[in-house]
Amino acid sequence: MSFARRGALTEIARFEQQGSLRARLPRPERGALAGAVVLNTAGGIASGDRFSTSVTWREGAEATVSAAAAERVYRARDDDRPARVDATLEIGPDALAEWLPQETILFDGARLDRSLSVSLGRGASMLLVEAVVFGRTARGERMLHGQFRDRIDIHREGTLVHADRIRLEGSVAAILDRAAVARGGAAIASIIWAGEGGEIVRDRLREAFAREAREGVEAGASLRDGLLLSRIVAADGAALRRMVVAGLGALRQNRPLPRVWQC
Amino acid sequence: MTSAPDRTLEPAALWRLLLWSSPAFPVGAFSHAHGLEWSVEAGEVSDAASLLAWMEDLLQHGSGWSDAVFLAHAHRAAVARDGKALAAIASLSAAFAPSLERQVEQLAQGAAFARALAAAWPAIAEALPPPERLTYAVAFGAAAGAAGIALDNALTAHLQAFAGMVVSAAVRLVPLGQSDGLRVLAALERSVAALTASAGEAAIEDAGGACFRADIASMAHETQYTRLFRT
Repeated sequence: MSFARRGALTEIARFEQQGSLRARLPRPERGALAGAVVLNTAGGIASGDRFSTSVTWREGAEATVSAAAAERVYRARDDDRPARVDATLEIGPDALAEWLPQETILFDGARLDRSLSVSLGRGASMLLVEAVVFGRTARGERMLHGQFRDRIDIHREGTLVHADRIRLEGSVAAILDRAAVARGGAAIASIIWAGEGGEIVRDRLREAFAREAREGVEAGASLRDGLLLSRIVAADGAALRRMVVAGLGALRQNRPLPRVWQC
Repeated sequence: MTSAPDRTLEPAALWRLLLWSSPAFPVGAFSHAHGLEWSVEAGEVSDAASLLAWMEDLLQHGSGWSDAVFLAHAHRAAVARDGKALAAIASLSAAFAPSLERQVEQLAQGAAFARALAAAWPAIAEALPPPERLTYAVAFGAAAGAAGIALDNALTAHLQAFAGMVVSAAVRLVPLGQSDGLRVLAALERSVAALTASAGEAAIEDAGGACFRADIASMAHETQYTRLFRT
């Protein structure tokens, strides 16, 4: 899909969908940006599935893309090919892009390769969230085994400025138990932001994290090359979501979160 | 690629490798701690056992592994005199920093390594990628490749320099006795041997890890009230 600026408003300029991946285009709430809500009508992701999303924000466009629900990735057999979920975001000059899918829940035994490739034009601003929960923690499940590979690349005006590669393979819970990994945590998120006023925004995010920090959830943020990078580690999906929502609140000032995030 | 590695170094190559990976080589390693200063402050690393566990995590699931993969690819590109491949590896390695201080640690040491090489081994220094955004791992790998140092030896030496840097910081910060620090380094032998073998065969897509809490520690170190170390 692509968004374009028309006068003071942003409108959808091109839209195609196929397979079980659909998007709705709700009328924005007061104070919110235009946008789309992505929906997987298959209800979840099985091994061998392949989903891809491509979004373009043309010059000056301002829009939020979120997802209707948490994405669930089912258990795979050991010889199954991992599921693939790819997203490509083209953020044009002076555009404002928000990519706010909900968390991905990996069932025990799930295998997922995910990639997010972002290109930022001159003067563009963005806010990205990628959140993952290892096991259905709400019912006490942990992801004992499986595979998760996550790849985030951010190019600014053609130069690679950030590359994040998460690799968790094999005995996932045992790796997550390790002190420098997650010390037993079962949920992680990255929030990445670019825009005006870097250090002030970084400090605002750190303050929000500090206010929300408690047993079972921790977070940090750092600004480099004009990108605000952050990581959150939490004991379960619920604690992760509280911290992510606190972080998004600090970065989005008073704009309301997409309704799908409000719970 | 899969032939038995030749671990016998010519005396001249061994001479270079020992010098370049020595704590006395002027890359400024003494000023970096890889975020460990925060981990000590937070009580995460408080004795030899917790230091060893933290180091194993970094080597198996974190920056130790990723840097070894980048070093190996930089080494091969330098041996093949493939400047384009080397530039691509340098760019990816520089983009990997999860925080400002981890970037400083890599780029400050990379730049210092390139300067030292240019001063004393100018012919080898010409094999390095441009000094802007040059990571220490890529600079070391490319230099070793251009200097006739076998990949296995270069990997082991670089991991020794990395582990030595973090452990010597921990000895001062925790504090630990010198013997405790040495015992941790001795206990890392097996991990380093395994890492050297697997990183030497890894694809560039295999770089990556999961040391989320080590990343958060380096972010938290930026605002730590009293600090002995730059990173």
